[in-house]
Amino acid sequence: MSPIIAGIVGVVVVFLLLFLGMPIACALMLVGFIGLIYLTSIGAALPVAASTIYHVAAYYPYTVIPLFIIMGGLATSAGLTGELYRAADKWFRRLPGGLGVATIGTCAGFAAVSGSSVATAAAMGTIALPEMKRFNYSPRLATGTIAAGGTLGFLIPPSIGFVVYGMLTEQSIGKLLISGIFPGLGLAAAYIAIIIFQVKLNPGLAPVSPEAVSWKEKLVALRGIWETLVVFLVVMGGIYLGWFTPTEAGAIGATTLFLIALVKRKVTGHSLFASLEEAVRVSVMVLFLVAGATVFSYFLALSTIPAQVATWVAGLEVSRYVILGLILAIFIFLGCFIDAISMMVLTMPVIFPLILTLGFDPIWFGVIAVLMMEAGLITPPMGLNVYTIAGAAKDVPVEEIFRGALPFLIAIVVIVAIITIFPQIALFLPARMIR
Amino acid sequence: MGYLNKAKKVIQRLTFYICAVGMFLLIPMMLLTVGDVIVRVAWARTIPGAVETSEYMLAVFILLGLAFTQQIKGHVRVSFLISRLSARAQPAMEIFTTLLSLFIIFIVVWQGWVIGIHETAVSDMLRVPQAPFKLLVAVGGFLLFLELLIDLAVSTGKLIRRQP
Repeated sequence: MSPIIAGIVGVVVVFLLLFLGMPIACALMLVGFIGLIYLTSIGAALPVAASTIYHVAAYYPYTVIPLFIIMGGLATSAGLTGELYRAADKWFRRLPGGLGVATIGTCAGFAAVSGSSVATAAAMGTIALPEMKRFNYSPRLATGTIAAGGTLGFLIPPSIGFVVYGMLTEQSIGKLLISGIFPGLGLAAAYIAIIIFQVKLNPGLAPVSPEAVSWKEKLVALRGIWETLVVFLVVMGGIYLGWFTPTEAGAIGATTLFLIALVKRKVTGHSLFASLEEAVRVSVMVLFLVAGATVFSYFLALSTIPAQVATWVAGLEVSRYVILGLILAIFIFLGCFIDAISMMVLTMPVIFPLILTLGFDPIWFGVIAVLMMEAGLITPPMGLNVYTIAGAAKDVPVEEIFRGALPFLIAIVVIVAIITIFPQIALFLPARMIR
Repeated sequence: MGYLNKAKKVIQRLTFYICAVGMFLLIPMMLLTVGDVIVRVAWARTIPGAVETSEYMLAVFILLGLAFTQQIKGHVRVSFLISRLSARAQPAMEIFTTLLSLFIIFIVVWQGWVIGIHETAVSDMLRVPQAPFKLLVAVGGFLLFLELLIDLAVSTGKLIRRQP
């Protein structure tokens, strides 16, 4: 068997094991290990998995992952989500679907201090859902809005999506995080447009909230957003100005939120433990997956598949945008079945060299890839955010939440198209970074 | 079954406490990094060994959490196909994939041990030996192996109960 055939067999076996329910990291490690034995020798293959696990687990830049995750937990403990929601509600409640618009605004705000998308959805499920229920919002619109709003956590920095993409492709994580700011704001605006459009079309979806709010009340409510704003500006401003690395920014953000929660006397042993547990769960999941993918990519590189695919595609007589369209279609399809981070880990070893060969900007593609990861969070049958909301809205069937989230996919597709036509939206800020 | 349940409880408690030990290192890691930034900005100096200490703490945090993450089913897997299988095929498939996972984790534990005991390197600044941290690959892997054994026993139990 030639190396390339061995590589193809390896890829097929990985997908087979994956769909049989094997933990993805173990499947990648196992097939990578056997592939390395085949292409090198048993002596060379044996230590690879163990040494890769150590090197991934003890690599300084990866400390950013638990730090970004714990920021979300501490922000929730400090009560920032509730305050953001109260402020957004005062400002947006008179718009068509106003509580939904406020929910998207809050999600965008929470995403600015949290690295996890699911944490965003979970935090909002307990705050915005009862409120929308109280004003007789359609359960489909209410739950769909929160599931979609939660995806903003992946695009608006700090974001684990960009960290994982940066890890897999060796791109600057700082530049990637900064590149997500404008597209993230654009996506939030597009989500809001989708809500207003739906409610205009069918006013029964969201009866207008009755009480009007005075300007004084609106201005007072703004007090609820200053903490979020300060943390975001310090963390992202510091990265942008080159004052500190993303890891240091994560530590500063987490410490600031910890101090805010301490001053407000909102840190309990229970809440701190829950935040730490979430941080360890997500970090171990991501890094074990990356270790598995690293072992597998050693094997894949020896099989020469990534180079061969890149050469073959570069020789095709079609526009590079057709190939990009195909890649996006693959992402949408895989996103239906595989969780967002696993999808990146599985596809990047082959797709990233292709993107470079086609002459696309790697930072720009990072934004596109993260947008595709977001789509995967709300597409059936495996949209993780939808299941998170289903946990909070026990009386709404999962199918109904998927239907509610579906219109927001249009927003993601539109933003992908706009950023493809005008890449400067993503690249404007990173190009002006100090380092 | 009584012994199995008791063993399950002991293993799960052990992996939980061991994970908790590593988990709290995130707080000193966070404070150390902030301290390093403050010292750099204020006095243009760095805390000696801050980066390597963070690296070691991250290693403990991650490796000791490997097994607990399995306990709470945190390692991602695709379940939509397997959840549609019959009540007999489902545990049979789980047994098959768990055995494969056990095999690769066995290799990790064995090689983690071999690499750890032969390691003689020390960190650049503080001269802290790497060996104990590298051995944690074997320790974390072994606990993960035990958690997978529990999963194997549970799936086998399910399969036996479903036999006609």
